[in-house]
Amino acid sequence: MKSVVKKIGNIFRNFGESVAKGNLWVKLSLIIMGAGYLGVGQVAKAVLMTVVEAVFVLYMLLVGVPYLSKFGTLGTVQYKSEFNFATMKNEVNNYDHSFMILLFGVITIILIVAFLCIYIANMIYVYKLQKRKEQGIVINSFKKDLRSLFNERFHITILALPVMGVVVFTIVPLIIMIAVAFTNYDQNHMPPAALFTWTGVENFKNLITTSTTITFGYSFGKVIVWTFVWAFFATFTTYFGGILMAKFINNPKTKVQKLWRTLFVVTIAVPQFVSLLLVRYFFANTGIVNTICSQIGVTDFLTKIGLVREGLGYIPFLSSPGWAHFMIIMINIWVGVPYQMLIATGVLMNIPNDLMESAKIDGASSFQIFKSITMPYMLFVTGPSLITQFIGNINNFNVIYLLTQDVYKTTDQLLANSSAKEVDLLVTWLFRLTSEQYNYKMASVIGCVVFVICAIFTLIAFRRMTAGDKEESFQ
Amino acid sequence: MMKKVVKPIIRHLVLALLAVIWLIPIVWLLATSFSSYQGINISHFFPEKFTFNNYLMLFGAADTVAQFPRWFMNTFVIAIFTCIISTCFVLMVAYATSCMRFKARKPLMNVGIILGMFPGVLSMIAVYFVLKSIGLTNSHFGMVLVYSAGSGLGYLIAKGFFDTIPVSLREAAKLEGASEATIFTKIVIPLSGPIIVYTVISSFLSPWMDFVYAKLILNSGISTDWTVAIGLYNMLDRSLINTYFSRFCAGGVLVSIPISALFVIMQKFYVEGVTGGSVKG
Repeated sequence: MKSVVKKIGNIFRNFGESVAKGNLWVKLSLIIMGAGYLGVGQVAKAVLMTVVEAVFVLYMLLVGVPYLSKFGTLGTVQYKSEFNFATMKNEVNNYDHSFMILLFGVITIILIVAFLCIYIANMIYVYKLQKRKEQGIVINSFKKDLRSLFNERFHITILALPVMGVVVFTIVPLIIMIAVAFTNYDQNHMPPAALFTWTGVENFKNLITTSTTITFGYSFGKVIVWTFVWAFFATFTTYFGGILMAKFINNPKTKVQKLWRTLFVVTIAVPQFVSLLLVRYFFANTGIVNTICSQIGVTDFLTKIGLVREGLGYIPFLSSPGWAHFMIIMINIWVGVPYQMLIATGVLMNIPNDLMESAKIDGASSFQIFKSITMPYMLFVTGPSLITQFIGNINNFNVIYLLTQDVYKTTDQLLANSSAKEVDLLVTWLFRLTSEQYNYKMASVIGCVVFVICAIFTLIAFRRMTAGDKEESFQ
Repeated sequence: MMKKVVKPIIRHLVLALLAVIWLIPIVWLLATSFSSYQGINISHFFPEKFTFNNYLMLFGAADTVAQFPRWFMNTFVIAIFTCIISTCFVLMVAYATSCMRFKARKPLMNVGIILGMFPGVLSMIAVYFVLKSIGLTNSHFGMVLVYSAGSGLGYLIAKGFFDTIPVSLREAAKLEGASEATIFTKIVIPLSGPIIVYTVISSFLSPWMDFVYAKLILNSGISTDWTVAIGLYNMLDRSLINTYFSRFCAGGVLVSIPISALFVIMQKFYVEGVTGGSVKG
């Protein structure tokens, strides 16, 4: 942390030095960014820098300032459409579009920060060029500079587009989502017809309130508990299931290992929206499994011991709270174990054989070997990915949504009021709030909560991943 | 002596039982896709009469609900473009972080790891906002952008592979006067066959497997715009399921075959990629 502060301090010191000690050309660069290059005879670069500056100023004047000035209120002019008798047409007033103001406000702020960085770097660089000229060092021609983009500065060329993609489609959306959480953007405040505005932390307060009108607090508690229970069970059942299955198949006593492996892999090769939707109808209230269960008397038996409500007549696999929770975890084992088995197979094959051999010579039983060599080794290698998988399961949209959407109806009125269900994860709840209720503000608040949860676990995983960094050891 | 015979039999019986459990839904999918009854058959596991009709109807009799050939083409086009862009991005980022040394490398990689661990689902509403405000919802171009824009973050496996290419090769080329761009295109890329295959297949598959983004972004209700995932999902709507379920199964089989084939090829490279970097040493 300290070194970052120090580095930033250094940059500003260099900037100050450049302004103070630079010659007239360098000082002129404070206003016209290309001037410094003219001083050392780099015309092409001078034009390029000045054009960049001009485009930025133009953008600020035409787009940036108008939007940014409304950023504080997110717009005040309501949309109005009036019939004009003179032209016989509906005329729309010059209304404010709150979401556009928010979006362009954020983009403009990012652009300003980026421009300031370029501006400061430009000053420092121009001053460096001046010093080089004074010392008589040859200054690269524009052509040479261009060529360096394919040689020693090739990384700039090849990283530009991917980094931009990540900024536009990952970082900007995250900032917007966080911003929306502090507004009242919902079905009653939908631009362009209506405005929305900043409301501070009210949405966050609503998320933990339970009153006669707001039931988000109640739902949030239930959903987050199930999210963690689910993530825990989903991660560990598939993890250990996968290892056991891999051990079982890779055992030298097993014949035709490849065939067995392929049989299990087939199930994950089928896209989830096919296999999970299919399983959903397989276990439907009037589905084939229920038919078979009632024919062979399982339904009656379960009713007798109280697991199925009296008079229901079918097993509510995916439509009543306890059963659905249980079935989702079981079906997830079906989905996840072959996948884990593949990874575990790869890791198991890499366990140094001499370890096993010496353990065997010392008289260790196969269970002891599994406990003291295989598992610690697996945990060492796959530890960080276990945390990543836990995060992935917190956000495991597909399994929950495809299995329960349209099938599971909640009977809990408090949950229904905030459009949650007992089987919802935070992400599926967020998704339905967005796509069915248009309640963007609460969806964004939930998004922020998920973000924080993920961030905590990510940082734990990250520290473990970078701890034993030996990327250059076998180059 | 008895023990020696019985034990392996039990072992294989257990495996067979597990395999049956794992394959039941797949078998049901196949069986139902040949069923002459169009709804869900709830009384029998196997259909009473087999027919090819469902497949023929998927291709021959496209109606407003079932536009399977169209969906297949849509998804295919989206997948091709996603695949090209993603593969380029991944290879470029992997080369920059593996083979070049520059000041921002470590911080950039750290940010990349952290961002890469955030699941894509999380930013979906915000991505939807951004696409909506620039008018790219319900467009296939928007879908391609969503699938490929962030793909640079998935560079780690390719980087792990590049890390194992001997440094001396690149140094020799440099001595001969080759630029970094030449080394990238003429030396590193030709040596990375397996990892390119892996990247190409995995990025080609992601639009086929994705459901969430397609559902969120292609929300106009015009069935000719849809991808396979949304189209098939829509067939299961309460009012349609009784006439379209067997066709849903046929469609499911048809997309699953090419996907499984690619998946099985990829899976070989996947195991190498995941473990290759971390374990040797």
